[in-house]
Amino acid sequence: MKVVTGVVGNDIHVVANRLIELSLNARGFEVFNLGVNTYLEEFFDAVVETGADILLISSLNGEAEGWSREIKLLKSKYKNLDNLVMMIGGNLVVGSADAETIIPKYKNYGFDLVFHQVDLNTGLDTLEEFLKERNK
Amino acid sequence: MSLLQEEREIILSNEYVDNFDFAEVEDFVKNASKELFISHHFKNKKKMLVQPRGGFPTYKKQFALNEFFVEANVDVLPLTIDSNTRLNDYATAKKMLRLSEENEIDMLNGYPLVNHGYRTTRKMITHFNKPVSLRHGTPDARLLIETAIASGIFEIEGGPITYLLPYSKNFPLDKAFLYWKYVEKICANYSKLNEPINRESFGPLTATLVPPAITIVIQIIEMMLSLEEGVKSFSVSFSQTGSMNQDIVMGAVIKKLARHYAQEINCADATINLVYHQWMGAFPTNKDYAEQLINMSTVIAAMVGADKIITKTREEASGIPTKEANAKTVANTQYTLGILNGLPNIVDKEEEEILTLEVHAIMEAVLNDPADTLWRKAFNSIKSGIIDVPFSPHIINHNEMITIRDAKKNIRIIKRGNVPIPDRCFEYEKAQCDLTKDTTSIVNDIIHDIGIMQ
Repeated sequence: MKVVTGVVGNDIHVVANRLIELSLNARGFEVFNLGVNTYLEEFFDAVVETGADILLISSLNGEAEGWSREIKLLKSKYKNLDNLVMMIGGNLVVGSADAETIIPKYKNYGFDLVFHQVDLNTGLDTLEEFLKERNK
Repeated sequence: MSLLQEEREIILSNEYVDNFDFAEVEDFVKNASKELFISHHFKNKKKMLVQPRGGFPTYKKQFALNEFFVEANVDVLPLTIDSNTRLNDYATAKKMLRLSEENEIDMLNGYPLVNHGYRTTRKMITHFNKPVSLRHGTPDARLLIETAIASGIFEIEGGPITYLLPYSKNFPLDKAFLYWKYVEKICANYSKLNEPINRESFGPLTATLVPPAITIVIQIIEMMLSLEEGVKSFSVSFSQTGSMNQDIVMGAVIKKLARHYAQEINCADATINLVYHQWMGAFPTNKDYAEQLINMSTVIAAMVGADKIITKTREEASGIPTKEANAKTVANTQYTLGILNGLPNIVDKEEEEILTLEVHAIMEAVLNDPADTLWRKAFNSIKSGIIDVPFSPHIINHNEMITIRDAKKNIRIIKRGNVPIPDRCFEYEKAQCDLTKDTTSIVNDIIHDIGIMQ
């Protein structure tokens, strides 16, 4: 399966991004990593270009919230993205908030899977389970 | 008028700069107090120099910070520049500076030197009469460095590689090389008037599992680019790796090879200093542990024979440190240095040999590039992955090299990508690690290894 991944906005924190790429490769995914400092349009363009099944956005410095508000609107401008699995993980707010408020908010933005300050392997295990369920 | 002077006139006629009086600045540098030159302190020092980090937007707060530092027995004052100035966005810096001045809150994460101007800043620098180190992270630092030297700042940190690969995704690397060439020339020219202006490279890079060979190669290249332009005082640097033994080996090899390559380009007359950064990775949230870690860094700096140490604070994990925390760490580091006398001399011949072979092999590949100048050779080598910095966000960097820690916490290369690590060394590096694990476990090890100090 194909995954497009990258760090959203003007965030330059690259370490987790590299680890996500390594982990996805180790799990047998075909990875298209756009790296840090990536805008939403670039993510969707890459999904269309590669025919990816999954879009995995990461963020560390909290700016994902500002960017994610525009996701539904933007996604609707692209055709054939209805089956795209949308996942986001990292540190998803500026300051602090608990997962109970963050997860519904991001699901509302259009994400299927939301991970706030969750261990990478837990996130990817959940992704694999989600895919298994969906393809039943 | 020379081409360089023409270029200077254009750069300094920027609308955010007050009128630049070249003759007056030259006169100032010529007659400036020796105390302001770090190169003078390096020459006459009896102990390791201690330098903290720090920068505030307003003149008033920067002045207060310096007062605190002087009180805490600092040897070198820092001046950290705000991130708008780093990106040459002087308009935003100006606006944020005004807001900071009017509202008593800091709207900038450093001192906007260009906006303050050299006439104002010089008053502060000469008042304290201590050497100041300019810390920034600017790919195009031409105007900033002109302003710094005119202000009395005679140590300039950074370089085309070390201020780009860890800090930028797509600023053109060839432009960075050319802009820094200008900086080197300006520093070299002013160096003729009084004591030398010191240039310092930024060794920590991404501060995440960077293998010693890569750090040393980049330090040597930036040193050579600087000496080529006529700089006479240069500091190579690196940060604590997480293994005491690897730090000591690295210190020995970087000192030896920096001198070797300076000689290769007939610049043996330049002074080469060694700077050690206290732990630059993720800090423990437990402040007592953070203090232990900082103290350990100081001991290692003494063992590697550093000429200067750059400090961290116990508040590192929880945000930007206060001036009190910064001053406290300076005082503590001075205290530790004061009681460290007669350290044993440790040599690990095998490790030194392996690291030396690696650095020579990479340097040979860089210097054998067919391009006509060293900066082009370095540019091509980064582009082709001969130099590869783990975890660099920049698009030009290959990111093919993979490193993990061995059982003794040494950083080891387990995938070399296009970096010409000799077979013998590569086998040695891999032999120190348990590579029978599956890829997922190795990735888990890397995640753990990054947080080594947690």
